[in-house]
Amino acid sequence: MKKPVLLVVALLLAALGILSCGKDPSGGTPAPDTAVDRKALLTYWADSLVKPGYQRLNDKLVVLKTKTTAFTAAPTTATLLETRQAWQAAYVEWQKVELFEFGPAEAVSLRNHFNIYPADAAGINRNISSGTYDFELSTAIPQQGFPALDYLLNGVATGDAAIAQQYATSASHRRYLTDVVAKMEQTFGTVYGQWNGGYRDTFINSTGTDASSSLSRVINAYSLYFERYLRAGKVGIPAGTMTGTPLPAKMEAYYLRGALPLQLATTAHTAVQQFFNGRPGRPSLKSYLDALGAKDSRSGQPLSSLISTQLGASYQQLSSLGPDLHTTFTARNADAVASYNEMQKAVRMIKVDMTSALSVTVTYVDNDGD
Amino acid sequence: MPGSPLQRYLHSFIPAAPLATFRLAFGLLVLASVVRFWAKGWIAELYLQPKFFFSYYGFEWVRPLGGYTYGLFVVCVLCALLVAVGYWYRTAAVGLFLSFTYIELMDKSTYLNHYYFVSLVALLLMVLPAGRYFSLDAYRHPARWRNQVPRWTVDALRLLMGIVYVYAGLAKLNSDWLVHAMPLRIWLPAKNDLPLLGPLLSQVWVAYAFSWFGAFYDLTVPFFLLNRRTRPMAYATVVVFHVLTAVLFPIGMFPYVMMVAALIFFPAAWHERVLGHLRRLLRRPAPVALLAAAPLVYRPAVRHALLLGLGVFFLVQLLLPFRYLLYPRELFWTEEGYRFSWRVMLMEKMGQVQFKVVDGRTGRARLVNNYEHLSLLQEKMMSTQPDMLVQFAHYLRDYYARRGVHAPQVYADAYVSLNGRLGKSLIDPTVDLARVRDDLRPKPWILPFDDEITGL
Repeated sequence: MKKPVLLVVALLLAALGILSCGKDPSGGTPAPDTAVDRKALLTYWADSLVKPGYQRLNDKLVVLKTKTTAFTAAPTTATLLETRQAWQAAYVEWQKVELFEFGPAEAVSLRNHFNIYPADAAGINRNISSGTYDFELSTAIPQQGFPALDYLLNGVATGDAAIAQQYATSASHRRYLTDVVAKMEQTFGTVYGQWNGGYRDTFINSTGTDASSSLSRVINAYSLYFERYLRAGKVGIPAGTMTGTPLPAKMEAYYLRGALPLQLATTAHTAVQQFFNGRPGRPSLKSYLDALGAKDSRSGQPLSSLISTQLGASYQQLSSLGPDLHTTFTARNADAVASYNEMQKAVRMIKVDMTSALSVTVTYVDNDGD
Repeated sequence: MPGSPLQRYLHSFIPAAPLATFRLAFGLLVLASVVRFWAKGWIAELYLQPKFFFSYYGFEWVRPLGGYTYGLFVVCVLCALLVAVGYWYRTAAVGLFLSFTYIELMDKSTYLNHYYFVSLVALLLMVLPAGRYFSLDAYRHPARWRNQVPRWTVDALRLLMGIVYVYAGLAKLNSDWLVHAMPLRIWLPAKNDLPLLGPLLSQVWVAYAFSWFGAFYDLTVPFFLLNRRTRPMAYATVVVFHVLTAVLFPIGMFPYVMMVAALIFFPAAWHERVLGHLRRLLRRPAPVALLAAAPLVYRPAVRHALLLGLGVFFLVQLLLPFRYLLYPRELFWTEEGYRFSWRVMLMEKMGQVQFKVVDGRTGRARLVNNYEHLSLLQEKMMSTQPDMLVQFAHYLRDYYARRGVHAPQVYADAYVSLNGRLGKSLIDPTVDLARVRDDLRPKPWILPFDDEITGL
């Protein structure tokens, strides 16, 4: 009975021996200040990214509500411009938190209530004239949120005076605008309240890597957002990469156009980038990957810097699509396609290389290691 | 008595108890496994909801049966129960093998080595005399009762277990596993929030220790289980090892199947004691004829047929895992000849694939949303396995042809990472998969791996 014990011990010693030989030349040992500590990472995300981000959005939504109230009380070009400005500011702020579609935001489908475009202008007009609508219906998804406000504040008529006049003469327009903003405030209020209530602790204490863990949910939400709502939604679909023909009418903030669509896209991209890179000395996906010692074993390069570099390249390409994204889709669409392709490279590294290195699982079904 | 050692071995007998306890435990375990599968809602998720299923080469006719799929699982559960209690044993064993294997053949994306193992054991149980002792059949028909069986009938199960372990061990003798501690180096730190063990799992040396011990364990444990002196210690290792894997990895029932199946290595007397406990528990007296030997003696023709059948079975088992040698390139990358070879937990492989369908007449291209056609599991499995990529491409070809696309061409841009290597293109994105044949020949359109994994 002693034999296997001895062999096991001998083998463990051999393994240790090999390890101590193998470790020296690698030089890839993690820096002492980083640790494979998911709880610290989740805590930082909750307290320093999600909650402050939601707070800033909340502030902007409060202003939007005030301005909308003032506009509907006295629809003039001046109050319209103030409302539009508040809408723009809130829309930009939203881009910094749309990627947090997990936990409470996922439970209420926050994105569906806030930013599914193109807006259904015909449906919105039907709602306005009928006066009956339920924002929880799936058909109502593109009839609310920022895209609906885009239509309501910029597209219901031609020219600011005409738009203001529309609201001055139509109580049902005033009511719909008020209801859209109220619905956003209400839906977001639920999410915001839960993060400031018990969900924050639930979130940081779910430290596993299985399909129900916080890390897995964050990574899935993050890569899904990057792939489907930034890469495809903001650039790919209007550039026609899915279908072969450009469809500029499907772009974000279509009714206002000008500089805003690109500002929204670059703000969203920066949020994705910052979520990965984090701040020096603070936990982030980058520091977590470094702590894991994740590197491309073909080239020996750290995975975190490969991803970071590609995100930078992707941002460069995207920001070159200005000043007016709509003009780009119509006049030089090839540049938009190039930007999509550059984003796709980054998406793959996030979805495949990073997710693999983090070892988070995406399904609950058994597997025996592929 | 014939003279050669082989002849003497083939004519020797041992008590029938090991086969009986194995039958009982195995039947109950499969029962639990299938009920668990059902309870988790996987029948609907994996076999009813998807629009497309990845069939095995030559088994394209095996498909989920719509709502009747539940009936198939009922048959499987029932057969497992009947096998366990030994009622209509032979029929139940055939039913178990057929129903379980049919279920496994319905969709490649659910392939698990332990399902394959269950199918193989069920196949063996169809021909082994495991229903002659401690069974309802023997109780109802005392004339069929036998308390001794040919030694080789028990050894067949031991040999299968031995092959599973040793081949799983051989598969670990490669540079990724031994030199780079991959993929454990990726998987273990993901579990570092476990109590007690957790903090250790972030250490690189622990990944090496697990890798090396795992390979050593797989290669040697059947031999330690065979030896009377090392058996208790070896079985303790079996339990510790499999409990550990159950805690660390999402591998479902596999650890329990192996822990229970390894009991076949215990001597007949031990099995007899277990059955004795069970008899007392069930308040059944020991058979009157317990002391008299009632050996199961096959007619020569039956015996020869059985031995020949087992010989062919084990020859196939020994050769099949090496079929990968018939393919020229890296096994882990191409996965040509990967399944049915006891390659367990060897790869952290992940991929993303974008399909493009081009109208053969107008040249108009469109991209495919995989999730509109496949389950999460199917998409995950397909994105790293070339044979499944072709199958899905053919499905897309037919799907778009029905929707009015002329002579659809299907291209796939697949990005795959393997054991920590940065992802790269798996297949040639310029090859029209709609025109590629789906067969077992090497696939020239798989792009080079650009790295080397040495070893078996």
